[in-house]
Amino acid sequence: MKVFFAFFLVMVAAFGGYHLSFRRITGRGKVAWVHLTGLEFLVLGLLLGPGFFNILNESTLRSLEPFSALALGWIGLLAGFQFEAVQIRRFPPAFFAAGLVESGVTTLVSFCCLYPVLPLFVQMPGAMHLVTTLALSAAAGCTAQSVLGLMFLSYAGTGMSALRLLRYIGSLDGLLPMALLVLIFFTRPGPLSINPLDILVLLAAALAVIFMVYMFFLTRRRDTDELALVVIGMTVLTSGAASLIGFSPLLANFFIGICLVNLTREKEKIFQLLVSIEKPVYLVLLIFLGAGWHLPGFSMAVPAVVYWLVRMLGKITGGLAAAGSLPALRGYPRLLGLGLMEQGGLAVAILFDFQQRFAAPEVSYVVGFALTAIVLAQLASPYCVHLLLKRSD
Amino acid sequence: MSNGFYAKDNYTVYALVLVFLAALALGLKEVDIGTARQEAGWINFALGGTLLAAFVIAKLVCRIGLPMLSGYLFAGILAGPFVSGFLSMESVERFKLIDELALSIIALAAGAELHLGAMKTRARAIISNIVLITVLVFAAVSLFVAASGSLFNVTADFSSSQLAAFAILIGVISVARSPSSTIAVINECRAAGPFTETVLSVTMVTDILIIIMFTIALSMSRHLVFAGSGMQWHAIGALGAEIAVSMAVGVALGKAVSLYIRHIRHDFLIFLIFMAFAVSRASMGFNEFMEEYARVSLHLEPLLICMSAGFFIRNFTPEYSDFLDGLGRVAMPVYVLFFSLAGAALNFHSLLLCWPLALALVLVRAAGLFGGSWVAGKISKIPPSHHYFAWMTYLTQAGVAIGLARLAMREFPEIGIHLNTVVLAVIAVNQVIGPVLFKAALHGVGEVGQSRH
Repeated sequence: MKVFFAFFLVMVAAFGGYHLSFRRITGRGKVAWVHLTGLEFLVLGLLLGPGFFNILNESTLRSLEPFSALALGWIGLLAGFQFEAVQIRRFPPAFFAAGLVESGVTTLVSFCCLYPVLPLFVQMPGAMHLVTTLALSAAAGCTAQSVLGLMFLSYAGTGMSALRLLRYIGSLDGLLPMALLVLIFFTRPGPLSINPLDILVLLAAALAVIFMVYMFFLTRRRDTDELALVVIGMTVLTSGAASLIGFSPLLANFFIGICLVNLTREKEKIFQLLVSIEKPVYLVLLIFLGAGWHLPGFSMAVPAVVYWLVRMLGKITGGLAAAGSLPALRGYPRLLGLGLMEQGGLAVAILFDFQQRFAAPEVSYVVGFALTAIVLAQLASPYCVHLLLKRSD
Repeated sequence: MSNGFYAKDNYTVYALVLVFLAALALGLKEVDIGTARQEAGWINFALGGTLLAAFVIAKLVCRIGLPMLSGYLFAGILAGPFVSGFLSMESVERFKLIDELALSIIALAAGAELHLGAMKTRARAIISNIVLITVLVFAAVSLFVAASGSLFNVTADFSSSQLAAFAILIGVISVARSPSSTIAVINECRAAGPFTETVLSVTMVTDILIIIMFTIALSMSRHLVFAGSGMQWHAIGALGAEIAVSMAVGVALGKAVSLYIRHIRHDFLIFLIFMAFAVSRASMGFNEFMEEYARVSLHLEPLLICMSAGFFIRNFTPEYSDFLDGLGRVAMPVYVLFFSLAGAALNFHSLLLCWPLALALVLVRAAGLFGGSWVAGKISKIPPSHHYFAWMTYLTQAGVAIGLARLAMREFPEIGIHLNTVVLAVIAVNQVIGPVLFKAALHGVGEVGQSRH
């Protein structure tokens, strides 16, 4: 009964909340920025979690695994769909390089700063310490685009080209963090009995077969009902296969997404399908993550602020490095990183995936403070983008 | 289309999908499962694989003229614990959530298919079918069991009173049909016309009637098995109240849906799913609350609530077209999930244990259905083809019969366990052949492809 009730609550909150928070977001002024943080959904998850009502406890979450696997796979597939070669080629190659440089430097700076600092807040064995730092750095490298998207709709100044560049970078800078996530899953300290080489072979074979099955299904034009069934079935299947092998459902679907967007004719229809419930799916992840969240007290606030500052430093350095090293970006503001402060979407999915794979109290604590930092980043990002655009004007 | 982009289904491609899925499943089955995450991964993989295999097998069986529903069931049987074991019994139980959700949506669709005007014009045929089929099936099955009980190993050791109770209970359960299968086959064939409407009405009304009959049968069996126990007439009164309250709740729900469509409209699909889910769970919660805290035996029937809601919207609100559109959009995933899981849960172990009695009961029940529908057809003067084919549409059995058998098992553990085994075995046979014959009957009367929805 509890599982059903929990499922019901999560779904109503995610879909109802999506309508209330996201669909009516334009015209709400500064309140909109608070809604974009998804803070209310984290708090809802917290209230439903073991600390309060104990509805979303460990066993309930385990029973709801097919739904979390679907949600995680959905976000992964959608992230993969950002990498359509034709779309990427529409922009100058320097833009793509800017995305790689920016996220690479951000990730590197975050890793270098967090690796020595993390033991001050949480004690972990050597391999786990490394893996956790990598996960935090990967999440730091990602940029969400809700604020940029809203600004793009309302802004009419001279910084429009900068805004366009930022959106482009923001849509692509998840590539390196995802590559880093691969490394995390192959470093994988833990009880899994399969060795990394076997995982690699199994994974390659499984993904090849899954992709072939997708291609077979897509050899004919399908109506929306059939396509929805195929995409849902394939996403759950891919996520399940990945978890079984000891790999990441997010990454497995991400790879499939990249292949699909570049090799199938139904890509537009699949993309529309994925986007249609992207926000509610994201909110489901936030609620699930919120269940393991801790109240942001002092022990949580300090590492959260540190993580937030480290990421900010990484983004600013990354932006400077991209703008300084690529001649094609000469006309753009050097503090590009200010426009890339928003962190949500893929970063949240990476943290959720990490928490699922390496379930431990220390990991929950780390994910908890990283979530608090994400909320801070979401709140600060509109002001940072404004600042950047003001400088451009 | 060029470059291999087909406008129609390519069955070789579907066969290849199955081969690849099977190869992947066999390959991954070799992986040692050592962690909870891996276990969850396997369940997700099996669920996704079953869903896709059901879709593909349905397309393939469609090619040879079988209903897609049979394909979903076959996929479930293949993936289930009695064949390949990719879906264990525990996994199937874990997906009960999906099962209940789907059943509520199917019940909404069932109610929405009942058109009051059409029912009024066919009242004679509907009533005669209900009465005659119910009486003949009950009589044929009960008398057969009572007369031949000593011949079958399952019933050979029963005392005469136990055998009488067994015969009454199984007679009543044999009257039960599967509204979900009925709706699924009708929707898939886009069937419409007097024959389809009569079959649908008879199935839906019988679904309500069976609950009343079963309560009376339980009371009679109690009287037979526990000597001295009197008939509990108050239980029948309480049942009447339950049905009335459930219908009233259904009407209120129908009104709420209609208001939602009229004033809000967006995300209707999501609303529909949540509503179906909420009805199912809220009814159960209400029933538990009434039993545990209020000590009142007033149960709400989620299926009846949903059917009444669908019926109300269809017949008394102008929003029925949007409602049917919304239902149509969730129909396919719901059917694939529901019937593939139902296939996985079909108990072939029971069939192995008592197949002689089960097969005999399938035949006797079919004979009862044929006799009842044939005589009803003659009385109500419907076209001859209709009364020759009608029995084939009433064969399918599923959830209701299983539920009743479980109730009987709880009440009479000694005979109930055998009753449950026999019922599960009969259902396994009926659910496999039922949809096939149903589709053949719809073709036979020429009502396939006549629906506008």
